[in-house]
Amino acid sequence: MAMTPARPSMRSISLLLRPLSRRSHSTTTSASSSVSASEVSHFSSLASSWWDPMGPSRVLHLMNPLRHEFIASCLAEGSPESPAKQPGSPPNTLHYLDVGCGGGIFAESLARTIPLPGSTESKSETVTRAASITAIDPTTTLIQIARDHARKDPKVSAHLNDGRFKYVNCTLEDVIASSPNTNQPSDPAAAIGAGAGVRRKDGFDMITLFEVIEHIDTNAHISPLTFLTDCLRLLKPGGWLVGSTIARTFPSWLVNQVIAEAPWPIGVVPKGTHEWKKFVNPDELESWASEGLMRSVDLERNSVMRSGSEALDGMRWKCAGVVYFPGLGWKFVPGSESWGNYFWAIRRGV
Amino acid sequence: MRPISTSALRPYVCPSCRYARVSNRRRFGSKPAPVTDIYDVVCVGGGPAGLALLAALRASPATSKLKVALVESQDLDKARSWKLDPHQFSNRVSSLTPSSVSFLQKIGAWDRLDVSRTQPYQGMEVWDGETGSKISFDWSAETSPFEDLRTVATMTENANLVHALLSRIAASGDENLSIFSKSTVSSIENGAADGPNGADLSAWPVLSIAPAGPARQTTSPSRIAARLLVGADGINSPVRRYADISTDGWDYERHGIVATLSLADQVPPLFPLGTRNAYQRFLPALGGPIALLPLPDNNATLVWSTTVENAAYLKSLSPGAFIAMVNAAFRLSMPDLQYMMRMERPSPSVTNLDEDPHESELTWRLQHTPAPSHLPPMVTGVQEGTVASFPLRFRHASTYISPRVALVGDAAHVIHPLAGQGLNLGLGDVASLSSTIEYAVTHGMDVGDILTLERYTAERYATNAKIGGTCDILHKLYNVPGQGPVAWGRSLGFEIIDRVPFLKGFLMRNADS
Repeated sequence: MAMTPARPSMRSISLLLRPLSRRSHSTTTSASSSVSASEVSHFSSLASSWWDPMGPSRVLHLMNPLRHEFIASCLAEGSPESPAKQPGSPPNTLHYLDVGCGGGIFAESLARTIPLPGSTESKSETVTRAASITAIDPTTTLIQIARDHARKDPKVSAHLNDGRFKYVNCTLEDVIASSPNTNQPSDPAAAIGAGAGVRRKDGFDMITLFEVIEHIDTNAHISPLTFLTDCLRLLKPGGWLVGSTIARTFPSWLVNQVIAEAPWPIGVVPKGTHEWKKFVNPDELESWASEGLMRSVDLERNSVMRSGSEALDGMRWKCAGVVYFPGLGWKFVPGSESWGNYFWAIRRGV
Repeated sequence: MRPISTSALRPYVCPSCRYARVSNRRRFGSKPAPVTDIYDVVCVGGGPAGLALLAALRASPATSKLKVALVESQDLDKARSWKLDPHQFSNRVSSLTPSSVSFLQKIGAWDRLDVSRTQPYQGMEVWDGETGSKISFDWSAETSPFEDLRTVATMTENANLVHALLSRIAASGDENLSIFSKSTVSSIENGAADGPNGADLSAWPVLSIAPAGPARQTTSPSRIAARLLVGADGINSPVRRYADISTDGWDYERHGIVATLSLADQVPPLFPLGTRNAYQRFLPALGGPIALLPLPDNNATLVWSTTVENAAYLKSLSPGAFIAMVNAAFRLSMPDLQYMMRMERPSPSVTNLDEDPHESELTWRLQHTPAPSHLPPMVTGVQEGTVASFPLRFRHASTYISPRVALVGDAAHVIHPLAGQGLNLGLGDVASLSSTIEYAVTHGMDVGDILTLERYTAERYATNAKIGGTCDILHKLYNVPGQGPVAWGRSLGFEIIDRVPFLKGFLMRNADS
């Protein structure tokens, strides 16, 4: 029997946590904190088992290959690179930003697809076409876990040393507040603030937001809409914002809250992982994304005039449902996006 | 299984190197030589399974960019220059199922095989020497008249296959490929926490590779780290010992006798012309089945599983007596065979005999034995130096994977040869492991990670256990002598399988998977 998604979203819950070691120049106030104290302690207790393949994050680890498949399908549909690409230019040029990287499950797997300079691999196009990835998360302990784990792989470790792969302990708002760097791996001029050196002058080609959006508490300062707007501001025209979340339906409530969080041996995720009322339906997400795109264009132009639907020209929206089958793993199931877990992507018009 | 925590890992040190290691330590202190190279896949063992893995990885565009190494203690140059007279055949021959053949085609190795030395067969006669009940496997009922008759399996010399795989690997170029031939793994340990690029290799296997033979004392070993270490290193796998994977099993107390034989012409010829049959007769009174599998022209390879004493007796016979015993084993009754198995051997000094006593015994007894219609042609000769024997064993590792370790082929499982499935299971492992690695590479996964490897073990463990277990049950069933209820039961089973076409077709398709 098909079971919907019982997927622990710990990787992302930390996204909006106020880091405990926050410095005073923070651009946001504590009023905008969107994660409750009980959720903080819930996910902190899971930190040490983040990379245990048999631990509580197992279902999340199993989902990771599908993220790569979904990204590949986005790249096949529209490349963020300009069409006038020189024949002799390097084949892998995309710059990725992973927002809410948590312990680094996705970020590290993406960094592994970046070829080492001079290797055979670097001479041809890879599946992800990645040239660099920056992964941000505000939780200090999780960034530390992610860095420690990345050291266990010499290839990923080399990328960390050379700046093709970066873990930065900051929030998305920190990145927005910082000034764009000049595309050097580390630009000293921009080295002010927690998000310094993350922002790219001409934006990122690919921004990923896996298991994040359903953990955002709506309050006066932060909502999924403002959050998506911030992401889209960092995206270059033609680039993709890719994410995944869960639809807010009766089956997803039953599976995620009742079955998946049931005591052992039925449950597969720790209790308290999900809050069903924060789940997002695809149509809601699509409308936020369109609105976010218009707002981000407004903010870029810095004009009083609100831009209209021309901001949406060339925009692409896609989503694909996935279902977790115990014993078999995750599978793409067309149609399941309307009631369970799904991947979504929005492409900014060129 | 090896626990995930690195402190619990036990290094493997080859027994003959232990002394050298101690003296080494005394001289240079406890700091080992630094790791010289890091490979994505290191395969220990250059037999058909290990080489097929390497060839498969080199053949797929996704995995061809991986940095791979192979370590083999034998001299692979000899296998590369393998050449045998067209009328001679090696006694190490395997029966490759159609799925093994299509895998070899897919990786581009089949084209490099000397196909004139292989022999497909389309039918199989299997019968019980005690009760005479019989089952014929052939595809004629399953094949439409418009297509070629389906092949049960293709007999291929292992040396021919190894030669083809080496040539396929050589054709893939030498970029990112290292072959350590005539080299042994002197130790496998975990790496240092301060490896290259500031990487922590404390959970990575690091192999010390030393040249085999006299050069060992003079050359310092190379140390290589493996993202994924594959054990294709046989029944006593050092890789398995390093990974601390336990293995279960037993010895059958039987030996398999192999030999290359020549046969008389088939009269009448099989229809359609050009098709060949394999023959297997279970001999409960002698400890196992005898099988005759076709080779090109009128040659055949013999696999006779029998008790250790019978095997020693058969190996001591003159060629003429040996041939007589093989012919007898397909034709005579159990009491006759038991008698002939205990006949006095003429002393080597007596050379003026008109006819070997075994031969005359067979001629006389055949006149009084009814001949069924499904007998193989008479054996007329045995190729010199091809009579050999090997012990039959059953082994199954408790798991095939551990962090950064995977086992394939005999390192993972050894089964009774009565169904000729040993190498096919090994190639099935390799096909599965190589596609697992391919999936991992295209999905950002670490090829040595347990989450990657569990796809492989999930695909292969149950299949191998099923086939190995079936062979074991057949062996036990056909070792009950006499006409008791077990013999009656297995005859009934045979008759049912033979008469119900649906069931037989199902079994044949299953045997091929």
